[in-house]
Order: sequence, then structure tokens, then C-alpha cells
Amino acid sequence: MYKAFGIINSSGRNIHVDGLQDYRAIGAFSFLGRYRVIDFPISNMSNSEIDRIQVYVNSKPRSLIEHLGTGRHYNINSKSGRLEVLFSQSYDKNDFYNTDISSYLENMEYIERMHHPYVVIAPNYMIYAADFSKLIETHIESGADITLLYHAVDNAKEKFLNCNTLNLNRQKGVLSLERNHGNAKNRNIFMDTYIMRKELFVELVHKAKSTSSMYTLADIVKDECEEMDVRGVPHRGFFASITDFNSYYDANMSLIDYKAASDLFHEDWPIYTRTSNSCPTHYFDSSVINSSVISDGCVIEGTVENSIIGRGCVIKKGAVVKNSIVLASSEIGEGVHIENQVVDKHAKIVHVKEIVSPEGHPGYIKRKDTL
Amino acid sequence: MKQSTMLAMILAGGRGSRLHDLTKKVAKPAVSYGGKYRIVDFPLSNCANSGIDVVGVLTQYESILLNSYVAAGGRWGLDAKDSGVYVLPPREKADSNLDVYRGTADAISQNIDFIDSHSPEYLLILSGDHIYKMNYAKMLAYHKEHKADATIAVIEVPMDEASRFGIMNTDDEARIVEFEEKPANPKSNLASMGIYIFNWKLLRKLLLADIKNPDSNHDFGKDIIPTLLNDGKSLYAYKYKGYWKDVGTIDSLWEANMDLLNADNELDLNDPTWKIYTEDTTALPQYISADASVSRAFITQGCVVEGDVKNSILFTGVKVGPGAKIIDSVLMPGVVVEEGAVVERVLIADGVQIGKNAKVGSADSEHIELIAKRVKGAE
Repeated sequence: MYKAFGIINSSGRNIHVDGLQDYRAIGAFSFLGRYRVIDFPISNMSNSEIDRIQVYVNSKPRSLIEHLGTGRHYNINSKSGRLEVLFSQSYDKNDFYNTDISSYLENMEYIERMHHPYVVIAPNYMIYAADFSKLIETHIESGADITLLYHAVDNAKEKFLNCNTLNLNRQKGVLSLERNHGNAKNRNIFMDTYIMRKELFVELVHKAKSTSSMYTLADIVKDECEEMDVRGVPHRGFFASITDFNSYYDANMSLIDYKAASDLFHEDWPIYTRTSNSCPTHYFDSSVINSSVISDGCVIEGTVENSIIGRGCVIKKGAVVKNSIVLASSEIGEGVHIENQVVDKHAKIVHVKEIVSPEGHPGYIKRKDTL
Repeated sequence: MKQSTMLAMILAGGRGSRLHDLTKKVAKPAVSYGGKYRIVDFPLSNCANSGIDVVGVLTQYESILLNSYVAAGGRWGLDAKDSGVYVLPPREKADSNLDVYRGTADAISQNIDFIDSHSPEYLLILSGDHIYKMNYAKMLAYHKEHKADATIAVIEVPMDEASRFGIMNTDDEARIVEFEEKPANPKSNLASMGIYIFNWKLLRKLLLADIKNPDSNHDFGKDIIPTLLNDGKSLYAYKYKGYWKDVGTIDSLWEANMDLLNADNELDLNDPTWKIYTEDTTALPQYISADASVSRAFITQGCVVEGDVKNSILFTGVKVGPGAKIIDSVLMPGVVVEEGAVVERVLIADGVQIGKNAKVGSADSEHIELIAKRVKGAE
């Protein structure tokens, strides 16, 4: 089909996940043990026959670049397809200026070069499965100028506080976009996913820039709502937005339940990731495991309860890991008890025997830290 | 990278008939092992890790799956320029009739043109159905150091089992003086591992003569090695130490899998300096449910465990239902054990379904039972 090319970008707004983001972009965050967050938007595009994909990177690119590599693992045609990584060279010291618009403007030559009539723009900080080829068809049939993907939620009072919401009319026409201020339970959370003609996209980027240096794509679409035909399409299935530390923790934990995971992972919708060629996980006599998601390459002698364990972790005898997310290659030493923690990669907890954070306020253990 | 002077040929044509239904549709090298591997991953990964660029895989018996599996050389990193894995089933040639491979040596003879096209100095012959890790570069260094015409890798086996193997009798310098195939009264316990390094020019000459010899079995062990010894060529034994298993039977395949459960197992698949590469399957991480219990097990991605797993190996995508019990067993890729079923001391073939409350295997069976067909549920 090749009707559209894809763009995967970080947020236009300034979102920050404490701890983890000191080391890598949100797209490169480990997710559910064996994935990275960006695997989801890229797999969605790959499965939707979009095989020209631009990934925009601004700060701390190492981890993301290493993970993306040539993009071969995303099942993209190795000749006609391409995963392109585009940098924002003039990354500004003042973060307010580092909008999505500024990164598009810097790489406008590569956007102009795309011969596809449509563009699908998806965020690198949201987790969901969606068939973009169906969305493109819907968009074309509707005759709309812009189609936006949204997810109706009933917990907008306490969750999705950094997200935009869509106000829709009965025909799913978008009346306005507004920030979720947490003052209503039921909201249509905007999934920061757009479909429009390439020319319109280019036009909007320029218009945003000339309106305000701090404008994002969402800002300009919001301005245009009244003039243009902007429509919302509802998304069903699992949806999570990673915009702060708690939402990262919650998004992971909510998928420990296999039934919840079945809402995201489907037989005919593979989520690709880079293999690390680890061997299976070795459980010993003394291991006690329940309600957990475990990646390959681990050696487990201790207790793991309601937790997610990344690749190549070592859980020693007598260790207890509870309600925690342990990222790849970490070690939980003998007799160590951790609860409600996110343990970043290559960390070693051996000397401190108890790290327990209160429920609802997960703690964070730094990358490569020895405790 | 610089081109290697050694080309490897993997003999992968055998059926392995003592594996019964496991090799009904696939050749033995394609049989699953160790949770996520196939046996042929071992020689292929060893080649890749040893810096060998070109590997020919000689297939014959039920080769469709094996052909498509090994042809994707990228899995083992063998896809750089001037590198590749070549699948070589018997083929029709302009000057001869289509002929099956009549023996191990004949399989090489029929591919002299392929080998010549890469002009290697040394030829490494491997078997596609052994489980072990070996650095062939070290073996080649040994071969060169001894200025050998051929080098054969050997492993010490218990003396009382030596009569089951091809035995190399050597002098003090490790030079082979005699080769005996399955001797009744073995003089040494150095068993051939079926791994040979030859100087290609010399082997080429021998193979051309062997093709024309009507009395030959066209076999390395039976014909080529004895000829070299008779000709007074210098053959050296290269002693290998470490894990090595030729899994010929269901019992030994089960056992080789169970070996992985030992804390200090010699094969050590977790060694980052010598990884065994395999197919990259798209699968979820392992899901272990609230009521599950897992102890002493080797489990890989795509598995969903809702029952009890003890002393067992679960391959990619195995599902264990609520209340089901898996004891002392090996469950190959895609096996589904439904609610309440009890599985003990068995090896279950790929994709087989064990119905609700069914009971298979028993704790005191003499041999490991192979379950290759669906087992219906019970009330």
C-alpha cells in the first residue's frame, strides 16, 4: 500500500520521567521486561505496512540508537523500507524551545523528500496496539483534514494528567483540545497520534513556527479545529501513556495480569524487539515465583512476587522481590528484600538488606548503582 | 573482517531414527533442544564464534524445515560480506546423475565444486547433531602447529563405553596410529567426535579417488581416515574437554535437556563470551500466574505457567494450565497442558496438546516416554 510514511516523535510538551530519563529517551525505556517503549509504535507501523519510518531523537540518543540498529528486527523490507533516525542538532539549552515543531523544521528536507501522500505521527511514550492502515482508510473515506486517535477513559481525575483530551461532537468531530486538568472522570484522552496529508502536515509545521516558537503540533491543531475538519477515532484495547515515573510503573504493573496483556498482544499483531540472544531462565529448587513476568537469561534462586524481571537478572537465595520492576542485568543479592521499586539496569543490591517504599510511591534505584 | 582460510561443512543429512516420531518430519539437527534452540544451532554458533565465514550445510532427510532454518545465516551473524550459510542438498549436475549422498565422504565429494569456489586452505567437517561448544580456531591452530594432514577432535569417554565409539589410538605425541570403529576390546578411550580438519588439497585428491572406488562406503570413519593412516599421513588427535552429547535416543535427548538444570552444568548457555544463537521468535516474556509454582526449571519466552512446574524444561510458547503438574519432563515448543493434567517423566513433542485432567507418564518408568500425539482429556 505505501500510502503513508511514519513519524515517531517524543512529546511536544515537556514531560519527564524522574530517574530513568537521566539515562535515555522514553522510547528507549525498558518495558515489560523484554521490550522497549518504542517497539510498540514501530511494530504498529510495520504491521500496518508502513515501512518508511522516521524516528526523531533529541537528547541522550545512545540507548535508543543501540536498540534500533538497522531496524531489521522490526520486519521492515530491507530494500524498499527504512528506519531513519533524525536528530535535533540545535538542541536548545532552554527546553521550552525544544518542541516537536523545531525538530520537524530542522529535518524538513527529509520530510519533503517523502513521496507518500499521507503521514502517520505516533508518540514514542505511549503503549498501545493499533492498525494504522485501517485508520488511514477511515481518514480517507471520511474526507477529514486531520484524524486523531483517542482513548475514552473513566479515570482521568487521577491518571493521564499530562495528556491532552479531545472534546468531540456527536459525529466525532473534534471541537477542541484541552489539557487534562483532572476535573472529570470521563475523558477522551488524545493519544498524540495524527493522520493527515503530508502537505497539510508541512503547512501546519510552518504555521506553528510563525505563530509561536513554543508551539507544538497539538497547539496548532487546536487552533485549527474550528476551521478545519478534524475528527477523532476511538481506540480500544490496552492503552498507557508514560509521562512520569508513576505512570511508567503503573503501565508495566498493569500488564502482569495475562488477561490484561491479551488486550495489548495479539497473535496477528506481533510486537517486535531486538533479541539479546539470552538463554532460557534458570529457576532453582529454592525459587518461589508467582504473579510475575520474567524475561530470558535470568538465574532465580529467590522469591519473586507480582514483579517484572528484565533479561539476565540474578535473584539470589533468600532474596524477595515484591511489586517491583527490575531492569536487565541487575542483581538482587542474598537475603535482600525489595518492595515497590524500579531497579534500573546493571544495579547491584547486595549490602543493603531492605529497600521498601510505600505502596503507590515506588522507589527508584539508579542504573549501575551498587547498594 | 578478513576472510577465514577454513571453510566448514556440516553433515546434517541424518534422520536419527531412534528418535522415533520426533524425526518423522524433521531431520535430527533440526530437533529442538534446551528451551529455545535446535541442535544445529550449536555447530553453527560455534562456527560463527570461531570466526568461520562460510558454512555449507549438507541436508538430505526431510530437509524442508532444516533448509529454511539454516538458510537464514543472519541468525548466527553469518551474513556479512563474503560470509554465508549455504544449504546443500543433493543436486543434479551436467556430468552426472542425481544421486543421494551415499555416505559422509560422498556428501563432501558431491560438493567439491562448491568448496573450490571458496578456495579454502582447510576444510572443517562437522556433525549437525551434536551438542557442545568448541572453538574451532584453536583446533586449527593445533592442526597447523603439528603440521598435520588431518586433525580429529576426540573426547575421553568411560572405558566401559568405549566400544560404542570410533576409537583413536595415539602415540605419546597425540599422533594417531590406529583407528578402530566400535572395537570389542578398546585400547584407548579417545572417542572421535566426528570433527575433522583436513588440508583441502589432500582431501580433495582422496575424495576424487574415493568416488571411483566401488568397494568404498564413502564414509570418513570407514574409508577416508583408514586410507590416510595406510598412506602414512600425519593425523593428530585434538583432545576436547567439556560438555559433548550425541543425542541418539529419546532417553539421551531427555537427559541432555535435564543436564541444564544442574547449577554447574558444563554447557553453560549463559556464557556471554560464547553465545549460542538461534531463531529470534516473537514472543512475550514468561508469564507465571498467581497460583503457579516453579522450582528447578528451565523456562523460556512465550511460556504461560498457571500450574506447577518441577524439575522440567519448558520450550518456547508452552502453556501450563491451572492445577496442571509438570514433573521431570521436557516440553517442546508450543506444547499445551490443560487444566489439571499431570505430566511426569516424559518428553512431549512440538505442539502436542495434553487434555484436561489427563495423566501421562509415570515416575518409575524405565525409559522416558515420548508423547507425540494429542492426549484427550479425562473427567
